[in-house]
Amino acid sequence: MRLAGRLGGAAVSLVMVAVLGFFLFRVVPGDPVVSMTRGRPTTAAMQAELRAQFGLDRPLHEQFWSYFTSLLRGDLGTSFTFRRPVAEVIAERLGPTLLLVGTATVIAVGLGLWLGVRAAWRRDSAFDRATTGVSLTLWAVPTFWLGMLLMMVTGDLFPSRGMRDTDTAPDFVSQALDVGHHLVLPSITLVAVVCAEYVLVMRSSLLEEMHAPYLVTARAKGLRDDLVRRRHAVPNAVLPAITLVFLRFGLVVAGAITTETVFSWPGLGLLFYDALTGPDYFLLQGLLVVTAGAVVVMNLLADLLHGVLDPRVKVV
Amino acid sequence: MNRLTGFSRAGMAGAAILVVAALVALIAPLLISADALDVTRVTAAPWQTPGAQHWLGTDHTGRSVALLVVQGAGTSLFVGLTAAVLSVGIGTLVGIVSGHFGGLVAGALLRVTDFFLVLPALVLAIALSTVLPRGLGTIVLAIGLTSWPSTARMVRAQTLTIEARPFVERARALGGGHGHVIGRHVLPSVVPLVLVNTTLAVASSIVAESTLAFLGLGDPTRISWGAMLHQAQLHGAVPQRAWWFLLPPGLAIVVVVLAFTLVGRALEAVVTPKR
Amino acid sequence: MRVKLCALLAIATTVGLAAPPATAQGPVILKVAIVQQIDSMNPFLAVFQSSTEVGRLMYDYLTAYAADDQTVTEGIANRWEPSADKLTWTFTVPEGKKWSDGQPITARDVAFTYNLMLTDEVARTANGSFVTNFESVTATDDRTVVIKTKAPQVTMLALDIPIVPKHVWEKVTSIKDYANDQMPVVGSGPFVLTEHVAGQFIKLKANKNYWRGAAKYDELHFVYFQNSDAAVQALGKGEVDLINRMAPAQFDSLAGKDGVTRNKAQGRRFTELLINPGAQTRTGEPIGDGSPALKDVRVRRAIAQAVDLDALVQRVNLGYAEKGAGLVPPVFTKWHWQPSASELRKFDPAAANAALDAAGFPRKADGTRFGLRLVGRAGRAYDEQASEYLKRSMSDIGIPLDVRLVSDNQLNEVTTAATYDLAFSGWATNVDPDFILGLHTCGQRPGADGKGGTTDAYFCDQTYDRLYAQQLSEFDEGKRVEIVKQMQARFYDQVPAVVLAYDNALEGYRSDHFARFTTQPAQGGVIMAQNGMWGYYGAEPAQRAAQATGSRWPVIAIGGAALVVLVLAGVVLARRRQATAGERE
Repeated sequence: MRLAGRLGGAAVSLVMVAVLGFFLFRVVPGDPVVSMTRGRPTTAAMQAELRAQFGLDRPLHEQFWSYFTSLLRGDLGTSFTFRRPVAEVIAERLGPTLLLVGTATVIAVGLGLWLGVRAAWRRDSAFDRATTGVSLTLWAVPTFWLGMLLMMVTGDLFPSRGMRDTDTAPDFVSQALDVGHHLVLPSITLVAVVCAEYVLVMRSSLLEEMHAPYLVTARAKGLRDDLVRRRHAVPNAVLPAITLVFLRFGLVVAGAITTETVFSWPGLGLLFYDALTGPDYFLLQGLLVVTAGAVVVMNLLADLLHGVLDPRVKVV
Repeated sequence: MNRLTGFSRAGMAGAAILVVAALVALIAPLLISADALDVTRVTAAPWQTPGAQHWLGTDHTGRSVALLVVQGAGTSLFVGLTAAVLSVGIGTLVGIVSGHFGGLVAGALLRVTDFFLVLPALVLAIALSTVLPRGLGTIVLAIGLTSWPSTARMVRAQTLTIEARPFVERARALGGGHGHVIGRHVLPSVVPLVLVNTTLAVASSIVAESTLAFLGLGDPTRISWGAMLHQAQLHGAVPQRAWWFLLPPGLAIVVVVLAFTLVGRALEAVVTPKR
Repeated sequence: MRVKLCALLAIATTVGLAAPPATAQGPVILKVAIVQQIDSMNPFLAVFQSSTEVGRLMYDYLTAYAADDQTVTEGIANRWEPSADKLTWTFTVPEGKKWSDGQPITARDVAFTYNLMLTDEVARTANGSFVTNFESVTATDDRTVVIKTKAPQVTMLALDIPIVPKHVWEKVTSIKDYANDQMPVVGSGPFVLTEHVAGQFIKLKANKNYWRGAAKYDELHFVYFQNSDAAVQALGKGEVDLINRMAPAQFDSLAGKDGVTRNKAQGRRFTELLINPGAQTRTGEPIGDGSPALKDVRVRRAIAQAVDLDALVQRVNLGYAEKGAGLVPPVFTKWHWQPSASELRKFDPAAANAALDAAGFPRKADGTRFGLRLVGRAGRAYDEQASEYLKRSMSDIGIPLDVRLVSDNQLNEVTTAATYDLAFSGWATNVDPDFILGLHTCGQRPGADGKGGTTDAYFCDQTYDRLYAQQLSEFDEGKRVEIVKQMQARFYDQVPAVVLAYDNALEGYRSDHFARFTTQPAQGGVIMAQNGMWGYYGAEPAQRAAQATGSRWPVIAIGGAALVVLVLAGVVLARRRQATAGERE
């Protein structure tokens, strides 16, 4: 029953996302055709032809209906900017974003949870204070500013843009190294900001757990501290943190917009930024639907996972 | 106890910083002559490194970076505060209504809350600021309208907890109407939570403002810290290694946001009694 | 302990990855930064400037513009002849030119391309304006193509239409859906498209079959940048070899940089300030909400007189521009117009004030006459700064300005709907001034429904329109130049817009990689964004002092060894630590 409710809720959210996506970007004033053709010889007839090609000359409700029905078929429309199906354009950019966000998330989760556990376990130690202080500060740092600083400080050590050079040898090792080289600064930027949150959540989660009666009992039984921590406290405290990881994953994708913009990383964030300047309605819609959709699904997963990991919550 | 004072000390430090920042923001416009920040009237050379004349050097037009940072405090704090109040206001309203009334209204509100909770706030804020005309109001709206759901959830939970308490049940049994229950019992118990939330929301709103301004979606006719960073990027501060143009506004954001966070956490520690 | 270890590991990997990537002895590559997206590789659909630029490299046009003086020169065709009534043009495609796949280029390819545009509406998307006056196009044999026009057309030697290979494109069933990505893409230009990753890069190889001879290097890569700031940085680091569209400050930042040469060129662009002259539709209905005061030409002249063009050029363009006058920039020397001493409106706020008083707009008690709105584009450095100057200039003549900086599309919306008083605008001009002049004719205004207009400034003037029609059928170039100049004088006098400045094109290149580029025109010309492909085609690689950059393998080996040692040390330490953990905690 509960599962059905969850699935239903997620489905409703997805529909709302689709509707919002259409109308939000449709109230953007401005004729995309005028923006597209600005500064080159264009006749009114050519503009009309472009409008017809993109269906912009039809009444709004017709546009909405055709958008919605094609959406159900997985067709997100055609991008103005790239003259190609939106789904195709998005799929192309998914890889770089997943690489960046994935790398950053893995590092941030590992580092964040580990630091959080240690900080909580030695609460009020110098380590705890330092970790908490640094995390709070990093949380306050605007992502793009950190990126710009890193770029300025590292100077010529790292490439200033993109994911790979065009003249790298085509073999796998060279290509992988090249991508790794480009990945360093953006992922450090993203990690620094995301990690802070994980540290704080893990720390407070473990602090709460440490006062649970069963831990006191376990210690009283004379179990070694280290063992108590690893066997009992951490597994229970990790739960909220894991949930957070899933909840955050979608938001991290959105947060990647600024990182990708600063480093010209060819992912979804950069695509979103580019699409705004058009404005490329169908691309914007598609991006909103895909990102928000991903977050809805991630939330659902987090819920389900929570149920599996925590015997106290029963799914189904 | 030690922990409490420890937190309070950080909180006090944060509060002190905020007082200073607020004073700066209020007094600065009175002390800085309009000419010093008018690009058409400045006489200093652009891109000067920090020196005796300009403590933090000059920007791409020859304006003093130090003066710009001071002037920018007002805009950044104003947007942060109003957006936070808007966001927490909406959140509190939605939270109390959905917690108190139940039924269809609550169901619908809960759905909407969950929906907005899921949407990537920045994406939505960017979209909104593109749609609406440029200006401070737009930024405030864009941030406020996209960041309320977490407050709503928290307030709703608190409302439900309070309303389950025996004394509220008693008040109801004695014929207390919705207004009475909300005004007398729910609101007072929610206020501390709302206060904490507002403080933390200011912090995130300031960061959000700087991000929108950086992406070029801010009010270009006003000086804010985010707008300064936008200018720095637009005019090539990074390739020129003009650290004096890049560091001060960013540090200002970090310090003020950190101060709000510290105060928020200190308040939180006071409001929610720990074990 | 572990913290330190992690830090060490992190540093080791960072250093390993930080080693500058080395290119082995390989092809000579020219890497160019582009900031604008590529919308399509299909030349019939591509409307973005960046796409057109790449298109020029892939496909020759029927005729070309010479590098040194932009006069018409051989393209696909090498001879052309109009009939006496100027209605029939005969072009000759010489023997011996080949497509990149070895097939001969014939007149049938030309006829195929133009006829495709005449028959298929979609194929007119990008360049349809050039063929609207065409009656018919026929290839009488492999060498001769005959174009018949409905009315005499002076721009017959300025048909900026990429000619595509018939043997490839006749198989295309739907132009709209054809991405033109069958690599390598068969073309006639100096380069052949070999790879395109959207949002990342475009790779082209020198066309060995190019009829002017192959370029002097092997590959041409366009690398996509999010903003010009990143591109400037990349040039400084040597990641790219050529960039353009720099902001003045960015250009200055490259002064004296080792291995970088800057090119300050006369650009094709001008920046203007639109003054809403009382916008009307084609049918004469008022449209928009421009200030009624601006309908008075005396007021518009006063505003223009109060703008200090020299100050704008010095302070906003940092000197990298020329003071504005007529609609055609000075790079097109032939068509460029400068006001004579009697026509010139000198910067004179006092005279402007007097003129406004005389026009019936006296200062009110608070010292103002009437307020105006100024719309510009947010994020464009010029608008953000120039608006500050204009605010001051206008307040000096009693006109408080309400500055609104909006997004690109909002600005287009405002100027299209005529809901502005003053607005920033700007255009890139072509070798033939027909287009930029045509923008200001009455017919370009929108229809009764407010749609379908391409007007720039809502200008509508009988004198101007008559001159426009005259120059369009004037085949004596000397006479046509005279008319074009008269039109610009009329425009200057009626001030529906003030041309503020002709922006310099600010470019930079790695002179340690490429010794020289062909500019257009030869004196003070541009490398990129030419009316042609000379800049890329004529680039000459520098003699590289023995490709010093070695292989990357030593770095990798050292990095790898360091990693292994560190991991081993980590394992050992972790074990020791575990053993003592109980006691220590």
